[in-house]
Amino acid sequence: MKKFFALLLAAMMVLGICAASTAEEITTANATDVWAEKWADVDTSEHVVINYMTTGDAPTMGANAEMLAKLNERLTEVVNAEINIVWISWTDYLANYNLRIAAMDGSIDLIGSSTDWLDAWPNSKRGGFLELSPEMLQKYAPVTYATVPQNHWDVCTWNGNIYFIPEDNYSQWTNHGFIYRKDWAKEAGLENGCETWADLTTYVKYVKEAYGDKLIALWDTDGTAYPAGGYICSFAKWRSIDGLASGAIWGGYLDDPYKINCLYLEETDRLVEYAKLMKEWDEIGVWPTDVLSNTGADNRLEFRQGKTALEQHHTQTWTGIVSPKASTDNTMYLDDEDADAGFYYWGKEAGYVTRDLVTHGVAAVSAASKHPERTLMVYDMLRNDKTCYDLFNYGLEGRSYAIDENGYRYTPDTYVADNDSISTNWWWGRNDDLEIPSSAMNWDEINALYDEYDKIAVMYPYEAFVFDNSMVQSYINQCNETYNTYMKYICFGQYDVTPEEMVAEFQDALRAAGVDEVTAELQRQIDETYNK
Amino acid sequence: MQKAVPQKVINNRKPSVGRTLYQNKTLIIMCIPAIIYFIAFSYMPLPGIYVAFVNYNYRAGIFGSPFIGLRNFEFVAKSGKLWMLTKNTILFNFAFIILDNLLAVVVAILLKEIQSKMFRKVSQTMMFLPYFISQVLVGLLVFSLLNSDTGFLNVVLTRLGMTPLRLYKNGDAWPLIIILVHLWQKTGYNSVVYFAAIMGIDDSIIEASMIDGANGWQKIRHIILPSLRPTIVILLLFALGGIVKGDFGLFWNLVGRNPTLYQKVDIIEMFVYRATVSDFNFSTASAVGMYQSLVGFVLVLTVNTIVKKIEPDYSLF
Repeated sequence: MKKFFALLLAAMMVLGICAASTAEEITTANATDVWAEKWADVDTSEHVVINYMTTGDAPTMGANAEMLAKLNERLTEVVNAEINIVWISWTDYLANYNLRIAAMDGSIDLIGSSTDWLDAWPNSKRGGFLELSPEMLQKYAPVTYATVPQNHWDVCTWNGNIYFIPEDNYSQWTNHGFIYRKDWAKEAGLENGCETWADLTTYVKYVKEAYGDKLIALWDTDGTAYPAGGYICSFAKWRSIDGLASGAIWGGYLDDPYKINCLYLEETDRLVEYAKLMKEWDEIGVWPTDVLSNTGADNRLEFRQGKTALEQHHTQTWTGIVSPKASTDNTMYLDDEDADAGFYYWGKEAGYVTRDLVTHGVAAVSAASKHPERTLMVYDMLRNDKTCYDLFNYGLEGRSYAIDENGYRYTPDTYVADNDSISTNWWWGRNDDLEIPSSAMNWDEINALYDEYDKIAVMYPYEAFVFDNSMVQSYINQCNETYNTYMKYICFGQYDVTPEEMVAEFQDALRAAGVDEVTAELQRQIDETYNK
Repeated sequence: MQKAVPQKVINNRKPSVGRTLYQNKTLIIMCIPAIIYFIAFSYMPLPGIYVAFVNYNYRAGIFGSPFIGLRNFEFVAKSGKLWMLTKNTILFNFAFIILDNLLAVVVAILLKEIQSKMFRKVSQTMMFLPYFISQVLVGLLVFSLLNSDTGFLNVVLTRLGMTPLRLYKNGDAWPLIIILVHLWQKTGYNSVVYFAAIMGIDDSIIEASMIDGANGWQKIRHIILPSLRPTIVILLLFALGGIVKGDFGLFWNLVGRNPTLYQKVDIIEMFVYRATVSDFNFSTASAVGMYQSLVGFVLVLTVNTIVKKIEPDYSLF
């Protein structure tokens, strides 16, 4: 046995060295020969256009066209292909995204996706994504294949087939929480910022009193963000199974994650507490009176401009707000030199956060693509070739960005966003080995928070679990609809009965919608997956 | 004379299809665009209804996907809301159809009675304009008028020392608001059809009635309204076919995601959207569409039969 482990260890080390060397060779600026060698036996005589589909609004100005021309030169040189970006604009993005995949007309090749915020699994199961065999990946995306470990390929596998490539070598945190004005929290007597929900309440009370007249609202929300789960999970160590429905309804406690339950039936007391607290916030006037119909607002932009005091989103968003130079929208720092943005994350009080899924960003190949091989080759270059990476992620050196003596990226003095910015929304193939940190970011604060996370982070427990929803999808739809309805009442204090009655009504509605049937089916499949 | 006899015999025989087509060629050529339209968009997609009974797979296509019977219909049925939703949808549409036509006829007659051509054109244009405003904007306009904090209505009420109306926190007023907004948007457009029908009435009949001493009201009651009857009946019949299909744009933009309001005015489309927006699924959407079409079809048949009994000339078929 000892011998076996020694051999295994040796084999892993050899593999590790191979992988490292491949990655290193490619990361040097002019790796054309290295690539050519890898694809020596691939026929690339026909020039092809690879259509890359991403969510986001197409840039109307800036240097995208010039950047793409340069990039395509490089891609043509190595794999005789060029890339074209197909944008799915943010309005109704999920429906349009799925529709484009369902069209199966060969108009898209490379698809950016995600198992938690875009329908990667439903599209795989419905035949929208091409199955990628290890042989195919090894041949056409050799560097990616060598650098993604087997356990990460496993979480992209369903019914024995790999469906997408994970963006698993990129550090980011997308755990949610409240972004708030740290300078105002200090004024309210909270020296370390908001560390508890009680602190948040003190903070909103103070801000309402001190700045209420100057702000559009404390939180100019449209009533579609539901921190109820975040509140409960600030105290209870519980994790939801992602990708079932928009609401995080099912999951398990971290000490026994494979015992599945519904958070809102398990945690009645905390939910009632939360409902009470939100009624209090409603009375304080944290959000507009007609919060549930307040659809025209853009709270994030308003927060950046110093016109609101709370924003609910994830750490990655906060990093862009806490860094004054990260966006020209961050005008609060110009108007108020003391301005500072803090972040209160769900789980802070219980002392845990869940690491990002490696499938939070994935790349898939359309099943209708006419050039799946070349698509993989282009992906491999975008993810691992230094020249391609810099162009596709940062733009034109000297115009879109420059690099200082410490190796940090900065925007040169000549930079004008309308002329020099680029946008590719490449959230499915970023690579820490090639990332150039930006000097515009407030790394002191960001790294302090990242260090805090690293100490308390736990792995997402359901990564290997792909749910077959066919038997219970109608129940999931019902439950999700019920959840979305009642969360609006509870999370914004929009109810006239007692909090206890409100929560009881919600729980009854969930049961009537079939929540228990879904829990039972999840439990059955979880048991199968984890051989309980 | 001798030739006339066989001619008559031929006429008594049923003419061949080809001959009928040839004889009516001009009419048929004029109908071709409409015929192509219906074949392409209404008849050719009909076999696609099958998608409502399968677990649709993009690669397998509609007919290659596994058959799952009525499971796609389950989610609406299971909600226990099907009856409430259908009832709401039908009642709203019923109100729309009746009020739309009533108001459109009244407006068309009023327009006809306006003597100044300039005034008529101006008022017609002003009534027509709201039809072109996107429903998203209509939703925002209504919010700007009625919201609690900065809405026009409440600002006025507060200034007058009255209690502001919390309309976005109480669903009771919304059936009325929705109907009013719908009428504001559609009446100008709807009245055009009736106005055209009125303009088509032979002036000599109206002149004759005036000579016989009919007053304005009598003219409307005995000449204009009876002349409009076929148009009214046909438009009503057409509208009934879609009575189970709600105006999603209007409802979604006015009451949208606010459950306090939509509990009172929920319609099939809104529920389906909310329940399936996170589950992009052609099959369930088609199942709902098929349910709506079937109910609509039965309604049209029923009403047509009733109309046929009362006034055979006005029935559709």
